[in-house]
Amino acid sequence: MSPDEVEDKEEESNIMVWLTGSALLAAMIGIFIYVPTERTEGVIQRIMYFHIPCAWLSFFAFFVVFICSILFLWKKDREWDIYAHASAEIGVVFCSLVLITGPIWARPIWGAWWVWDARLTSTLILWIIYVSYLMLRAQSDAGSMRARYAAVLGIVGFLDIPLIHFSVLWWRAFHPQPKVITSEGIGKGMDPSMLATLGLSLCAFTLLYFLLMGERVRQEQLKDEIDRLKREKLYSS
Amino acid sequence: MDNMGFLFAANAFVWGGIIYYVYTLKQRNRALEKDLDLLKETLSKEG
Repeated sequence: MSPDEVEDKEEESNIMVWLTGSALLAAMIGIFIYVPTERTEGVIQRIMYFHIPCAWLSFFAFFVVFICSILFLWKKDREWDIYAHASAEIGVVFCSLVLITGPIWARPIWGAWWVWDARLTSTLILWIIYVSYLMLRAQSDAGSMRARYAAVLGIVGFLDIPLIHFSVLWWRAFHPQPKVITSEGIGKGMDPSMLATLGLSLCAFTLLYFLLMGERVRQEQLKDEIDRLKREKLYSS
Repeated sequence: MDNMGFLFAANAFVWGGIIYYVYTLKQRNRALEKDLDLLKETLSKEG
């Protein structure tokens, strides 16, 4: 990469940091100042503005793993493998936050930290699948058979996401049914300020995903460059 | 103002988690950049 290209990349990264930071700040103002307190649940309902964006981000990250894993198995191009690995790590971080914020929200509302409800259980299974994916990746070298096994796991793991989505509709569940996207439309029955705040929070978390992806992909590229130079050094000596 | 502690805890976990992840990501990238520079320097000296 030429020095000009490096400078351009740094400038792009700085713009992204500022954009994401501003969006997150605006979302926080929306959550704690702008949005009204919900009538039945009270102040605790504000957790929704973190909980849903964390869930969205993790599902989106695992969707990227699914697509990139298919492309890696098809094209055998290491770039797709890098994107899948990076996205899986981010997905696991945010899925962990979903599994932490959910029980904190549930405790005062349901009177229990955890229930073996279909949605909660299928989300826990999703988390376990992608933690296993990362454990498998931690032992694998680039381009090895294990990278292919990880890609298969990344594809199979994603099949749990439709199950998570429909679980509250198919089975009797503690977890509330979808309120944002329903058969009547988007945000019907929701206060417009609540919908706007949730939308803003979702946008901010999506920007955060792209920012984290940029950093995580760069990490894998640096590792590859180091491996390449080490091999070069080994052959030259 | 009931349940304020729960809201604070959830908020703290989300921000704490994100900040910690960004910090470790930056640390790992910095260490790799250092390794790469060292390796390049060694190779240019040898070559």
